[in-house]
Amino acid sequence: MAGFGSGSEIASVAATATVPVTAPPETPKLPPGEWVKANLFSSPFNSVLTVISTASLGFIAWFFLSFIFHPIRQWNAPATNLRLMMTRAYPEEQYLRVWACVAIILVLTGMSMAVWRAGSTMPVAGLGRKLLTTGALLVLLTLLAPFSTGATVQWLAAALVVVAIGESLRRIADRGEAERTVSTLTLQVVALAGVVTSLWVIPFGHHSYIPTRIPQVMEEPGTVALSTKLPWTIMLAIVVAAYFGGALLRDRLAKNTLRVTLVVLWLLAPPVLVYLILRDPDFDMGHVIGTDIPIFLAYAVLGSALLLWLTRPSTGEIGRIVAAMVLVAGFATFLSPMRMVLRLDMLLLAAFALAAPTFAGGSRSRNRYTGAWLLALGVMSWLITSVNTASTVKVPGGFFIGGIAITFMVAIFTIVLSVPLGIALALARTSTMPIFRLLATWFIEFVRGIPLITILIFFSIMVPLFLPRGMHLSEVAAVVIGYTLFSAAYMAENIRGGLQSVTRGQHEAAEAVGMTTAQKTVFIVLPQALRVAIPPLVGHCIGVFKETSLLAIIGVFDLLYIARIVIPGQTEFMGSARESILFIVPIYWIFCYTISKASQRIEQRTGLGER
Amino acid sequence: MTDATTTEPTGGHSRDLSGARDMIVCENVSKWYGDFQALDKVSATIKEQEVVVVLGPSGSGKSTWIRCINRLEIHQEGRIVVDDVELTNDLRNIEQVRSEVGMVFQQFNLFPHLKVIDNVSLAPIWVRKKPRSEAEEQAMALLERVGIPEQAQKYPGQLSGGQQQRVAIARALAMEPKIMLFDEVTSALDPEMVKEVLDIMKALALSGMTMMVVTHEMGFAKEVADRIMFMEEGQIVEEGTPTHFFENPTEDRTKLFLSQIL
Repeated sequence: MAGFGSGSEIASVAATATVPVTAPPETPKLPPGEWVKANLFSSPFNSVLTVISTASLGFIAWFFLSFIFHPIRQWNAPATNLRLMMTRAYPEEQYLRVWACVAIILVLTGMSMAVWRAGSTMPVAGLGRKLLTTGALLVLLTLLAPFSTGATVQWLAAALVVVAIGESLRRIADRGEAERTVSTLTLQVVALAGVVTSLWVIPFGHHSYIPTRIPQVMEEPGTVALSTKLPWTIMLAIVVAAYFGGALLRDRLAKNTLRVTLVVLWLLAPPVLVYLILRDPDFDMGHVIGTDIPIFLAYAVLGSALLLWLTRPSTGEIGRIVAAMVLVAGFATFLSPMRMVLRLDMLLLAAFALAAPTFAGGSRSRNRYTGAWLLALGVMSWLITSVNTASTVKVPGGFFIGGIAITFMVAIFTIVLSVPLGIALALARTSTMPIFRLLATWFIEFVRGIPLITILIFFSIMVPLFLPRGMHLSEVAAVVIGYTLFSAAYMAENIRGGLQSVTRGQHEAAEAVGMTTAQKTVFIVLPQALRVAIPPLVGHCIGVFKETSLLAIIGVFDLLYIARIVIPGQTEFMGSARESILFIVPIYWIFCYTISKASQRIEQRTGLGER
Repeated sequence: MTDATTTEPTGGHSRDLSGARDMIVCENVSKWYGDFQALDKVSATIKEQEVVVVLGPSGSGKSTWIRCINRLEIHQEGRIVVDDVELTNDLRNIEQVRSEVGMVFQQFNLFPHLKVIDNVSLAPIWVRKKPRSEAEEQAMALLERVGIPEQAQKYPGQLSGGQQQRVAIARALAMEPKIMLFDEVTSALDPEMVKEVLDIMKALALSGMTMMVVTHEMGFAKEVADRIMFMEEGQIVEEGTPTHFFENPTEDRTKLFLSQIL
């Protein structure tokens, strides 16, 4: 190959694999004693700092441990109310639906991990060192904790087991010539298997809570209930099986098809899961056959005929006039009393009719367009029918579900809906069209100037009052809409930052090859802008997830509300708010940390900062 | 067109293009940036298959001019007609002109998030509506032509500057343009990479492409140009064949420029 840039090392290394690369000399590892001396006690000042901070850390640890393990702590409060924290009052006999949802999510997770080749490897020696450190920390904490002698001995024994495993791993790693590595995925599965096994083996206690008028708490010694340990064991098996299934598909199918399919499935998952948990429409088949299907058929036949005519290239200007008349007819239906489904179908037909000239062409594209109409009409008819039909799942109270389920539901729907809205707002704000720019700017500045809690209160209390008579909006839906608008305004600003990082040269290059503005935006500008915007967007998503706890203020039974109000209100667990709140802290943390870790992986994958 | 059969390897200036079609017509094109006049009544006609090299000191309006030809800059007065399509605010005209005019930039402007092959095949697929397989085949043929087929699956950031600029040329050629514009394409390159890019441009000129080249490479201008235009302060000061331009320029400003550069 001809000359290489002296300045771009990557280029020359990538282009000529034959160039011998000499590795930099390895910095020798200091023995522990010298490392401590060099890093912690290098100067008198440094030594004082080390002593003071170690003492403070020790004190804080001691304080926390004495709080957690104090005999008066009612840890059986969160333990007994675990089900309440997960799903609140969801009927027990319908729990199979919840497990089905968890299974769907785990199948998608396992397959995605295989298809995107998640996980990495870590050296066995490093794992051994980590376990040694963990064991040492465990010993330290055990000695600080206010345990009885028996408990201390048990914990020390556990710590010693960890230390022993760590040391033997280190020995094994040192024995061979080549560096031994272990897959982090294997480690995670082993860890999860350990947790699941502990459910069967370790006597955590059998807690159950019966929410009758006079709540009864039953606590028996032994392992956890079968209704907990059995499903989780099955779930672990499902995720492992899904991973191997995904790996099989990965090797057999085209990479892109598989990835696109999975992304679509992930996007479809939230509404499908909500449907699965809450809706089992109790269809009145007589009504469906007598009314719904005839309406569908009428629209299908007449609409298809209209669209086939409109998409003929020869129809021309008169087609547009007819399409506009359909739109007017659609709005006119609101003037006289009739079934809502008739009006909505009419509006959908108007939308298709207006777009028809764009898709005019040969018979193949006309048929395809008519097919799209039939599909959209079918989905909409089915949705309208099923929304209007009562569910067989009877849940007490105004809110159908609660606990971590509602936390997740609100967070996921808000994030999924606000990403496209945020992108649209950011594009509008940077657009050359003044109307869009003005509207987007005003919207963003307006929404950002209002506290989130105000928006949530407004949408949960005020919006239902403004709705026309006879129209109902569930409170959760109202809250999600408000939260989405709020979140989209912030996302738009993050994405706008990304859009501005795309250089003028990129715009010019795209224009110079003849791309339209839409093509330029989709293929050139947005991919680069979103890549830059990943870190702030993930930060925002973590914020959205955590701030669902504000729902507690407007009386939604989310995780925080249950921990702070519901559980301490039970007669058996009066005033146990501290335990419950401390219990939900790691729950929030685990999910936020997972999101953060995942985003780091995505950044590495997309090569942020490398290219 | 006689070049293809003669033995003379380069240098279009001996050929007779008087019968050829007008590809680019500029009439009294003027442009201002605020109060600063970047182009001052520029008029020129460029024939089919002609290779025009635009010279001039920096800030003389050369780049502005060729960027006006595919409307990356908007001229405020005068007319620009490219292949019988006049550039107005009509978006359809602009898109038609842009899909027929290829442009290569000083800073390459490759799409960093796409592989080399996708950089080249993206526009044919979406603008020309070619099937993906056909577009990729064509992209590979073009990469072959610019001498870097083995880099097809890499990202632009992994290539050297010269290789990147060659990909940029392939990307412009993938749209099968009738005209190629080169805006100081070797200025950002390390000296040892200039030749590999100039060689491709020479081959392109030989193949009969209509080209407008803004450059500081005098050797290239002498060897390849049919006509040289010299610009200063937004005006075309002098134009003529390379022999005329380098050996007996008429204008004092041209002489001054040549004395500084040669």
